[in-house]
Amino acid sequence: MTCSDVERVLPELLDGAPDGEFQTAFETHVKSCPACSDLVSDLKVIASEARQLAATEEPAPRVWVRIAAELRAEGLIREPESAPKSAPTRPILVPTSPRRRWSAWWLAPVAAALLAAGSYVVSHKPAPQVAKQQAPGTPAASPAPAPPAVAQTPAVAPASVPNPAPQQLAQKSATPTAIVGLTAAPAAEPEPSEEDQQFLSVVSTRAPSMRATYESQLQAVNADIREAQAYLDRNPGDADARQHLMDAYQQKALLYQIALDRIQ
Amino acid sequence: MESLQQTTVVTLVLATCLASAAFAETKKEYRFTVGPNANVSVDTQYGAISVKPGSGNQVIVTATLKSDKVEVDQRQNGNRVEVASHLLQGADQQTGQVDYEVLIPPDATLNLRSSTGPLTAERLQGDLSLEGTDAVVNVRDVTSGHVHVRTMRGPITLTDVRNGHVELASISGDVHLKSVTGPLVQASSGSGKIFYDGDFGSGGDYKFTTHTGDIEALVPANVSADFSAHSVLGRVQHDFPLQQPQHSRFSVEAGRSFFGTVGKAASEVVLRSFSGKIRLKQR
Amino acid sequence: MTDPKQRITEAEAIEQAKQGHEAAFEVLYHLHKRRVYSLCLRMVSNPVQAEDLAQEAFLQLFRKIGTFRGESAFSTWLHRMTVNVVLMQLRKKGLPVVSLEETLEADDEAPRKEFGAKDVRLTGSIDRLQLQRAIDRLPPGYRTIFVLHDVEGFEHNEIAGIVGCSIGNSKSQLHKARLKLRDYLKFMRAEKAKTG
Repeated sequence: MTCSDVERVLPELLDGAPDGEFQTAFETHVKSCPACSDLVSDLKVIASEARQLAATEEPAPRVWVRIAAELRAEGLIREPESAPKSAPTRPILVPTSPRRRWSAWWLAPVAAALLAAGSYVVSHKPAPQVAKQQAPGTPAASPAPAPPAVAQTPAVAPASVPNPAPQQLAQKSATPTAIVGLTAAPAAEPEPSEEDQQFLSVVSTRAPSMRATYESQLQAVNADIREAQAYLDRNPGDADARQHLMDAYQQKALLYQIALDRIQ
Repeated sequence: MESLQQTTVVTLVLATCLASAAFAETKKEYRFTVGPNANVSVDTQYGAISVKPGSGNQVIVTATLKSDKVEVDQRQNGNRVEVASHLLQGADQQTGQVDYEVLIPPDATLNLRSSTGPLTAERLQGDLSLEGTDAVVNVRDVTSGHVHVRTMRGPITLTDVRNGHVELASISGDVHLKSVTGPLVQASSGSGKIFYDGDFGSGGDYKFTTHTGDIEALVPANVSADFSAHSVLGRVQHDFPLQQPQHSRFSVEAGRSFFGTVGKAASEVVLRSFSGKIRLKQR
Repeated sequence: MTDPKQRITEAEAIEQAKQGHEAAFEVLYHLHKRRVYSLCLRMVSNPVQAEDLAQEAFLQLFRKIGTFRGESAFSTWLHRMTVNVVLMQLRKKGLPVVSLEETLEADDEAPRKEFGAKDVRLTGSIDRLQLQRAIDRLPPGYRTIFVLHDVEGFEHNEIAGIVGCSIGNSKSQLHKARLKLRDYLKFMRAEKAKTG
């Protein structure tokens, strides 16, 4: 057997079943030919080292956040029945590290709750520190949809968004003269939720010149949320509408985060 | 442990008498020597920040303070440089304003933040993160980096951003993309418009989403992409003969959605709006 | 508050996930996230795309979890689903899943000798990071086969079924991929030796 022959049969013999016809000649040649011996040895090392590469990389925490949000949006996550007393075990969750501290500390969990709102209920989960797990080179303040403060405190989002009668929708305040609604009669702006009132109160105290801006933006995103929610209520199977509702919550979370970055 | 390393402070004082109020505008310059892949942050509540590439391994920050009611804090920790405006008692949007002109090594990572802006970054190759409340954001001639921008109302304009990983988000600001290509280009705005002028590159994933804002893409006839567009309540239209696959789970709702392939489908383009119009126009 | 020592098994998590328990989904995700993401990353060499693909693989899995009856190992099922998600994406982008050539080409003949007498075996001295970089450099078709076989452990008959090629082609592509990797690794070694 020549070196060329070795090359030709290598694909079959290297990690396949021994082939009686060529096996002996192959082994004899390899033993006596340093170049072919090196080749065979190198290819085996490459193959064995490659196996070590499986499962070595870790995805960013935002991947789970997105999966969970989508599962909730699709109704695949359902609240469990009250835990039976006889069940001794509960699933353990991923170990986490302390959340970042902000002087307007309550904005962080509200921003997180908003992001997952409508699809993600959390109880007693300490927060993962996403910032440390971001890829090198990416800025710490990553934009939505993966904010740092995911899953920090119980979500309040469904209750935090005013729920008007489904027929009265979407008073737009971002474009003051534009009134968008699915019925002919525009609705009065609902009362801000408690979280939104607290938010505006803090803004008034710490950045009074920005209050009007934040308030108008808050009204706009809340209107988008109401509009999307109302449409989804009437069309529960519409996946795109569900995604737009998620996006609207993410916009609100973005608003809170931008404020959070400013008000410290 | 903080330390001030190799910092040279050059202070130039310019006194300007104004008719109605005697504000002393002050210019200060800070220089930092850094290594490769430096990280530079500039944060000002009020004021413009403009960043360009410098030469060598220096970060040079020129700060123009509009009054004595604002200070500039700066520090360097190894390869990390942080410069921030610090408002004093009684400062407002005018008196608290500091404008920055910054030169950085082209490969540095950059973080800018300003409520009022504008924020400008050009001819850079590192990762950029820009955040503004009302700030106009302008990014030009950037290659191969991550570009992350978030604004509340400020419009975002990207021009000649190549091979980038781009993520833009605004609540009501418009987004303009001209000659922006890369493996990932995502833009979202609640009520702002998104306008794209380019060819969607080759092999990238593009996703534009609005709630009420319109989305318009102006592309050449030889574009090569898989397109899918859907507006829940708005209208969609396109100028291209789209080839549709035999079997697809994407359902076409006349006037509200379209999907199909132009050319060899090198890129994937997803356009979504809740109630805005979506237009795919041929240049 | 949960007792950190109380864990559920994968089988229990699967059953609870079928009932829609979020924590069960999360347990399954964390159990398999590295394997899934690593596979995606090796195949597309792009962390952003790999994240999207991993996300899609898990979503497809969780959507279908109600149909899992335990006929095969859960990890095998997820593994196969992940490969399908990645290959679908590659095909969608028009990237070659498998190289078309069936025969060895001229430059793949007899063992290379251009590195000369000083060339050292790779045995026992492969830098894992260099190997990762070398894999990233492989043409997409070679990379697919190499990752599926040598990294992920699929057999040639499985690969043939997954990617739609013959067993012989799978073996041939794998061999060529390994030869290219050997060349890349030796080149990297030589470059490193030059710069010290």
